Amino acid sequence: MSEISALIVDDSSVMRKIVERALRQAGLAIASVFEAASGVEGLDILRSQRVDLILSDINMPNMDGLEFLRQLRAQNLAPNIPVVMITTEGSEDHVREAIVAGAQGYIRKPFTAEQIKERVLPLVGA
Amino acid sequence: MASAAKQIDPVSVYSHAIDEAVAEVFSLMMGIACTSVDDCPIDEPETISAVIGLAGAMSGTCVLRGGERAAMRMASALTGMEMPSLDETVKDAVGEICNMIAGAWKGKLPALASSCMLSTPTVVTGTNYQLHTQRPELRIDRYYRFDAITFSVTLVCESMH
Repeated sequence: MSEISALIVDDSSVMRKIVERALRQAGLAIASVFEAASGVEGLDILRSQRVDLILSDINMPNMDGLEFLRQLRAQNLAPNIPVVMITTEGSEDHVREAIVAGAQGYIRKPFTAEQIKERVLPLVGA
Repeated sequence: MASAAKQIDPVSVYSHAIDEAVAEVFSLMMGIACTSVDDCPIDEPETISAVIGLAGAMSGTCVLRGGERAAMRMASALTGMEMPSLDETVKDAVGEICNMIAGAWKGKLPALASSCMLSTPTVVTGTNYQLHTQRPELRIDRYYRFDAITFSVTLVCESMH
């Protein structure tokens, strides 16, 4: 499995590190991780960096995860790159809204490395 | 003759959901088993409170509160790193733990799961303070212990819509 680059978007730096750790524990070979504290920062990173996977929270200040997803598609940033939402908002309505906005996966917090393995690895061909 | 419909006690339902949410978050994210206790005396000078606002079908707050030791222990368990002081990482961690508890709690209540929204966390640190609310419709205080450390989770419902 070749190494990938990932973008993690979450307003909590602790949670960004936890997500990265979970990705590695799930067996994903990671070459580099880019971190963003908001949807705005995430879009800025994607204008200059190529990534293979995007993981994003929903509830964030300065552009939430759903708007980030919509802007991603509207600005044609990271086309064909899988986006997985990792969030405390776990209702079916939220999941549906994220999928409609363009997410390929959805993980509710709290989560386990096993859930990351099941729902993220297939999206990057691992 | 039809029997009277059983009244659902929201305090009981919400309390049970809080207990389940705490157990889920602490076990899955931190590998910690908490037990419910009757009280949560905090004998440390500095305490930390993480506050998540609730809006929509229910207006209110969810507050996770503990002393310095509890906060540092939680943050250490969550991050896998030692926490030498009550720094920004600890505050961030406690905020996220409260966020996950609030999210897990409302996810267990069908009437609130998609119609009650969560704010981003606000974390307050200080000494000798209490949180007051103006005559809430409902207030639930739950107390927990792990490793001789206690903390509390408080749900304040200001109104239901």
